[in-house]
Amino acid sequence: MDEKSNAAVTVSFLALILLFFTITDLLDSDRLYSETENRMLATKPAFSWEAVWDGSYMEDYEAYVTDQFVARDTWVELKTRGDILMQKKEINGVYLAKDDYLIEQHKPGNISQEQVDKKVALLEKLVDKYGAKVMLVPTADNILTDKLPFQAVYYDQRAFLNQVADAIGEENLIDVYHTLKEHSDEAIYYRTDHHWTSLGAYYGYLEWNKYMGGTAIETFNISGMMAVTEEFLGTLHSKINLPHEADSIQIFPETLHHYPTITYDFGTRTHSYYEKKYLDTKNKYGYFLDDNHAFIEIETGYRRGRELVLIKDSYANCLVPLLANHYDKIYVVDLRYYNGTLAGLIDGYFTPQTDVLVLYDCIHFIEDFQYY
Amino acid sequence: MVFSSVLFLFRFLPIFMILYFATFLCPAARRMRNIILFLGSLFFYAWGEPVYVVLLLFSTFSDYAHGRVIDRVRNRKIAKVLLISSIIINLGVLGFFKYADFVIGIVNQVAGVQIPLLELPLPIGISFYTFQTMSYTIDVYRGKAKVQKNLLDFGVFVTMFPQLIAGPIVRYTDVQEDLRDRHESIEDVSYGCRRFCVGLAKKVLLANNLGLLWEETVALEPGNLSMLMAWVGILAYAFQIYFDFSGYSDMAIGLGAIMGFRFPENFNYPYISTSITEFWRRWHMSLGQWFRDYVYIPLGGNRKGAGRQMLNILLVWMLTGIWHGAGWNFLLWGLWFAFFLILEKILLGELLSYFPKIFGFCYTVLVVLSGWVIFAIEDVGSIFGYLRAMLGMGSMGIYDGQALYLVKEYGILLLVAAVASAPLGKLITSKLERSGKSGAIAARRLLEKIIPALLLLASIAYIVDASYNPFLYFRF
Repeated sequence: MDEKSNAAVTVSFLALILLFFTITDLLDSDRLYSETENRMLATKPAFSWEAVWDGSYMEDYEAYVTDQFVARDTWVELKTRGDILMQKKEINGVYLAKDDYLIEQHKPGNISQEQVDKKVALLEKLVDKYGAKVMLVPTADNILTDKLPFQAVYYDQRAFLNQVADAIGEENLIDVYHTLKEHSDEAIYYRTDHHWTSLGAYYGYLEWNKYMGGTAIETFNISGMMAVTEEFLGTLHSKINLPHEADSIQIFPETLHHYPTITYDFGTRTHSYYEKKYLDTKNKYGYFLDDNHAFIEIETGYRRGRELVLIKDSYANCLVPLLANHYDKIYVVDLRYYNGTLAGLIDGYFTPQTDVLVLYDCIHFIEDFQYY
Repeated sequence: MVFSSVLFLFRFLPIFMILYFATFLCPAARRMRNIILFLGSLFFYAWGEPVYVVLLLFSTFSDYAHGRVIDRVRNRKIAKVLLISSIIINLGVLGFFKYADFVIGIVNQVAGVQIPLLELPLPIGISFYTFQTMSYTIDVYRGKAKVQKNLLDFGVFVTMFPQLIAGPIVRYTDVQEDLRDRHESIEDVSYGCRRFCVGLAKKVLLANNLGLLWEETVALEPGNLSMLMAWVGILAYAFQIYFDFSGYSDMAIGLGAIMGFRFPENFNYPYISTSITEFWRRWHMSLGQWFRDYVYIPLGGNRKGAGRQMLNILLVWMLTGIWHGAGWNFLLWGLWFAFFLILEKILLGELLSYFPKIFGFCYTVLVVLSGWVIFAIEDVGSIFGYLRAMLGMGSMGIYDGQALYLVKEYGILLLVAAVASAPLGKLITSKLERSGKSGAIAARRLLEKIIPALLLLASIAYIVDASYNPFLYFRF
């Protein structure tokens, strides 16, 4: 073969690669949602001359073409494999930690003291006005430190919790940091998801119970825990998106004997804390309390003479079944979805028999805790 | 539009190339090549700058007209007036959009007044295309370039998308024949395709990922940098800007070659230099040559005595500095190099020649890396904080946990970058070439298909999942 033909082969080969993906991309239909990335994908922007003039049309169009590119998931996986080949231990904000753990990264630099101060001040108001108790759960990076990559950085939640204790008074903070640390060699966090497991929540519950005076009526048996699925690949897995050993979601079967009446957002009514339909989807953690709702009213079916207003994020979803037996009614508010004023809501339910509990993981508290 | 995007690679590029090469189907259509290239380039530019495309056209037309008239009135006094008019218009446009706020800021500070800033966004590529059009008019005046009477061909010279937004600074004389009569050969197309893939990989695989390491470094206050962190950070930046910029030049040169243009080389392995003088012969060569031919030599160069030469060097490197951005740090950056260039002229250059080359290399690395600190950090106070950390005088000591973590995280990438910035690939191909054995030729032919293809596929993966794909030249 002479140089000319050789050059022609090279050109055709490289041009075909580009053309192949161009054509398959043009033929490929658009998706609204990426299940593996767990986010909405950009869609085709509407054309208007104003949008062209200010450049927003081109920006949106570019985001659209990139998000909808053919075989996007495969490309993303290829990139991740490239990063792993380069021995990276941190991919898309997730540490590839030891023992097959994926641990979400929270860099100290991304959290400002000013933001923390603001959130703590909001919390202080609730404590002062309603005698709210507070449980802020440290995330896995602070507890499973032995599993983190060499010298990996993390936002120090111990120091943060000390600041909270100083602000609201130690007596109002149910501090689960220590107990989780003690059990850090057990499966208290999912390996592929940012939540704590039912077991982690159970240790949190024990701490809460001790704090409330040790009134537990019901005992939960760790060795009797029951797996509802063995195929859970959570949010952290979505960010890495490589084959990974799945997690099992476990519950305490004792809670299945309850007969609560649960009303979601003043509408749908059910009689279980658990929604089986989520086990067939990617979002299996939604099994607990039907994923996320702005407001949930739970009549527990028990007569304990007390009620609870629970202001929470999704960490609470697997803890609620354990708390149920202590209350007649539990009102659950998720401030990320709730549009009204919090004071209006609490005042509507508040009686001398009402406890108020704020339950978040530390990071979501700092990022999301907000009310009006 | 940037080259390292899905939109460019899978929409603009294939559609453009199909239209462009469709003109080869019949001889009568060949004149259409330049129309397609011109309109394609305007679309390419307008995609990112829907308003400033008008400025680009104005600049094009202005120098076209100046060139025409200067050619008519050659050897008369009026020709010089027109030359000055062209330079004033070019520098006026550049000055207004790029330096007005910088000057207003100085005036406000010195005079204690409160003139409001204009806060105009900088038109992309303005520093490149104003320099190109200016060089045309000057060369026509000097009789070095033939006047271009065809507005379309001249428009192609200025706006041609491969080199429009990030260089190389193609001079009119580089391409004046190619504009009308270019002979695309399949070997050139093959070379261009391969060069493009290599450039894309340099930008996407190396520069973008090293940029993440630099981002981690600058996220820290200079006072919180350990010595190790400071060195690793600036090393990452040095590689980032080199692979980003030279990758862009490779892509430009490659796209040019596909269409039969020969653009000047812009980088020649600058990081193997053993003196600053050599570094500037290897770094952003088209800019260095521009300043040499249109500023340094007209000022007298080295022909008017040593004192005058020093002054010329100082002036040229101050201009080189602020060409990169309207800020004190860029001026300081230029002065930093001027200092070492002058030092090498009077003393150091000769001194270095007595020592093994490794000394010159280490000295150059030190000067260049410290230079990048000045270049990359806009706040002059922080520059000194950073340099103090590099000297181990910061409060964080020699090393800290984060630095160790990042070294482990990016160690291999830094190693790959170091190898890639040395002329290793060039060495291997020329070895294979020279051996002349049929096995060596077969190996070379195979590698020149496989390697660009793999680089292309890997680059696509990193572009599709692009959380970080900056355009570094928005200040140029």
